[in-house]
Amino acid sequence: MLSVTHNFGPSRWSHCRKRGVNGSLRSNSEADDIDKRRNGHADSSYKHPDRRHASFTTPESTGPVSRCGQQADWGSQVEDDEMRRDVHRDMQRYRRRILGAEFTQRERRASSGSSGSCDSREGDNMETDEAVLLRRQKQINYGKNTLAYDRYIKEVPKHMRQPGVHPKTPNKFRKYSRRSWDQQIKLWKVKLHAWDPPAEEGQDKTLDVVEELNLDDVMDIELDFPTITDSQNSQSSLPIHSLSVEDEDCGTPVKVQRTAEPNMS
Amino acid sequence: MENSAEDYRIQSFDLDTQRLLKTALKDPSLVNLEKVSNIIVDQSLKDTVFSKEAGRICYTIVQAEAKQNNGNVFRRHLLNRLQQEFKEREEMRARSLQEWVCYVTFICNIFDYLKVNNMPMVALVHPVYDCLMRLAKPDALMNEDEVDCLVVQLHRIGEQLEKADSQRMNDLFFLLRDGFLLQESLTSMARLLLLEILEFRAGGWMLSSTAHKYYYSEIAD
Repeated sequence: MLSVTHNFGPSRWSHCRKRGVNGSLRSNSEADDIDKRRNGHADSSYKHPDRRHASFTTPESTGPVSRCGQQADWGSQVEDDEMRRDVHRDMQRYRRRILGAEFTQRERRASSGSSGSCDSREGDNMETDEAVLLRRQKQINYGKNTLAYDRYIKEVPKHMRQPGVHPKTPNKFRKYSRRSWDQQIKLWKVKLHAWDPPAEEGQDKTLDVVEELNLDDVMDIELDFPTITDSQNSQSSLPIHSLSVEDEDCGTPVKVQRTAEPNMS
Repeated sequence: MENSAEDYRIQSFDLDTQRLLKTALKDPSLVNLEKVSNIIVDQSLKDTVFSKEAGRICYTIVQAEAKQNNGNVFRRHLLNRLQQEFKEREEMRARSLQEWVCYVTFICNIFDYLKVNNMPMVALVHPVYDCLMRLAKPDALMNEDEVDCLVVQLHRIGEQLEKADSQRMNDLFFLLRDGFLLQESLTSMARLLLLEILEFRAGGWMLSSTAHKYYYSEIAD
């Protein structure tokens, strides 16, 4: 779906991409292109004779990646370093939030006298592997680095978001299998496309994709921290779930059903 | 922002460039950030005054870009350009001592100002050490400009560097001690500078008041 662009020319989704292959904002990509050719930079934006860019963005990376695979350039090193620190900082914040919420939950359960069937120890079952978190963060960044996401967050403030209707960023700290996580990211990004900026043919294509996948039927992934009411009403509420059965989840008693896997090109 | 020209020492640029830089500081998305980073680096390699303070303007542009759209295009171009020059530093030094000294001053200035989550950029630690080690070699110690550059940088960022990698700081100071003791071709000014930096580090990156009096009593307060 998200193709690697070989030049500054438009790909199918390039009008939705906020940044070009070299990371700079796309506001004036054509002008930049002309500028570069005129100045003939012999620097990192050097282009091969066949107009391929020396480095390009892939879905897994936050920005241009050296074709040799080795990120020896200082720009990338610093970015990676920064991401690592951000992930660790996020982890600490998340832990604190979870501990706070768990504490409140236990108090409520004790006072109401109910024994919740979901003893979700989210804090214990948190994803902490740095490599995994970094990979997930990159995937999230890639999805957020779109005009669609920009338009979405401007249009729908957080408190107005309805689960199922509005896309929600997958929670990188929850334990999911690789397949499950990649699936969530895919679905999230597809949902975000509903906010793509209008283009000549782009608009219709987007609607086609939405209809094909029958997204109305696919409920949002269970991403929220299970509250007591959720776990008690689990039997009735959530219809279709795309978490795979073999998931090591926190034992959330939600009806898990396999959907017919949508065919994403 | 009326005194921004002095704050960032951009008076040495022509007026058009000054305008471009001021725009970059306020509204980075309006300018070609790769071009801006090249302008800044080019000038830093020519202008000793600018090279000492260019870190500030870079820091401000990085912050402005991050705040505006979470971008780091400017930083990436700046760092990669620095890296290019670093790869060819030996040729640069052979070509022009002044350019080399400006480069070292500039990269240390960037190390000082551009932090990531309040920590120095790890990617720059070894390159900075490499530059300082080069300045501590016998042929460089013979040039007062290079010795001066070396001790000024150590004063500014020595403590941070040591925290980042103490072993390399030890290695550097082995060279400095050897140079001070054994190298006969040193000028007395060079020796004085070396002695001061040896004492400075030994004192935990500061001079005792008596040492300060010894080295700086002639300087008007």
